[in-house]
Amino acid sequence: MFDTTSGGARIELDGLTKRYPGQAEPAVDGVTLDIPAGELVVFVGPSGCGKTTTMKMINRLIEPTSGTIRIGGTDVLAMRPDELRRHIGYVIQQIGLFPHLTIAENVGLVPGLLKWSKDKIARRVDELLELVGLDPASYRGRYPRQLSGGQQQRIGVARALAADPPVMLMDEPFGATDPITRERLQNEFLRLQRELRKTIIFVTHDFEEAIKLGDRIAVLRESSRIAQYDTPARILAAPADDYVAGFIGSDATLKRLALIPVSVLSPSTSTSTSTTDGLPQIAGSATLRQALDAMVAHGRQEIAVDGRVVTFAEICATVTGEQAGVAGERPVSGVR
Amino acid sequence: MSLSEYIASRWDLLTQAALEHALVVAISLVIATIIGVGVGMLTYRSPRWAAFAIGTSGGFLTIPSFALLGLLIPFLGLGWGPSVVALVLYSLLPIVRNTVVGLKGVDPAIVEAGRGVGMSAAGVMTRVQLPLAWPVILTGIRVSTQMIIGIAAIAAYVAGPGLGNQIFDGLSRLGSVNALNSALAGTLGVVILAILFDLFYVVIRRLTTARGLRV
Repeated sequence: MFDTTSGGARIELDGLTKRYPGQAEPAVDGVTLDIPAGELVVFVGPSGCGKTTTMKMINRLIEPTSGTIRIGGTDVLAMRPDELRRHIGYVIQQIGLFPHLTIAENVGLVPGLLKWSKDKIARRVDELLELVGLDPASYRGRYPRQLSGGQQQRIGVARALAADPPVMLMDEPFGATDPITRERLQNEFLRLQRELRKTIIFVTHDFEEAIKLGDRIAVLRESSRIAQYDTPARILAAPADDYVAGFIGSDATLKRLALIPVSVLSPSTSTSTSTTDGLPQIAGSATLRQALDAMVAHGRQEIAVDGRVVTFAEICATVTGEQAGVAGERPVSGVR
Repeated sequence: MSLSEYIASRWDLLTQAALEHALVVAISLVIATIIGVGVGMLTYRSPRWAAFAIGTSGGFLTIPSFALLGLLIPFLGLGWGPSVVALVLYSLLPIVRNTVVGLKGVDPAIVEAGRGVGMSAAGVMTRVQLPLAWPVILTGIRVSTQMIIGIAAIAAYVAGPGLGNQIFDGLSRLGSVNALNSALAGTLGVVILAILFDLFYVVIRRLTTARGLRV
């Protein structure tokens, strides 16, 4: 259906505009955006800025007034909307599972619309339930109302993934869950995305979530105008203007440190020769923010990570740009 | 002759009348359900059209049943025709109204999810909206049934089928032999039919409501 690379398809938006009759300002004004295949791009902006409208034009739940949309090179506006949507995963905040259908029927809905055989659908449903961490044998036959909110949203994600679409649209999917569940869903989702490498457009108003999940972030102002479109690290290091800076808040540096694993500090850059004896310990998988946190908590300038010493000066050096490139930049195809 | 002796002696006649009564009610309800659910489906999205449909079907109910049946005679003659038409008109209001209310009550997020995964508008209606609204629609049909079981008795006035003949026959010759028994037997039959229909709906409701909505 779409040209795909490594599980995802490139999305190109060109001059995408939506005007509602009787409104002076367009709801979405000429959005031009190139989203590489396999990347997760977060649209972040205040309520009513048009981010959801922009997203819904991509699967044509809202028809654009003008502009073009191409997915994997295919002109989306020339396709039949129902057919198009069967090839784009769609997850919404309210989840929207069908309460009168079982979990298996919910997940198998899109494959059913695509006329897959019963056997193939059943196998796919089990596979997806495994993927989102719910035991197929005990969940297959249940109904949505018998599941917790977090479990329901896992099913929502499984339903969107059912026909293995190259593109997923997610509208504040974790917005309605409690903070602990949200954190867990985000982590599971990141793990999943590392495996699947779908092209994902993820809408949120939570900048923390955008930093955590996004390969790139598009910061939107009113009428969906793009204030900045870049990687989280670069947006944090160099916000384009006061609007973006305001979105980041006053702790941009701490947010950047949270993106950088301590492992970026190679042993050779360590100038300290002191031993790790008596220093507070943190795990090698920790971030620089966690390292800093431990230093402040213990009132020390040094900390032990996997048998070597990390100093306060080294952490400072990473954010002042002494490392090659922009520290905290995540290689797009590599491991986070 | 006591009432029970009367019923025993006229058993065949009474069961025949009761069956016809049930049949005319059932036929009317099937037609009214098709029309009422259809009208509800077409109008529920527009508050103006929905109000118009509910207002019109409500208007039918304000016509006295004697008048409506009488007015239908020039067009449909006597017997089953005018009886069924009148009963359909009387049963529309609860069905149209509950269809509109039921469809409006379906969570918009669920409808959007249906569209979002690539179901056609008709697919979302038949596979999602109607099954979810069904318990409410069925309640409307049940209310209509209760209403028209009584009204169906009046169809005897246009030589229609059913237990009404027993009642009117008895009432018209009150004081003569078995007149009261005839009227009472007819009335009792109507009440029993109403109870049987209601029990039937309890079963239908269980059988036709999706399991996921009952958990």
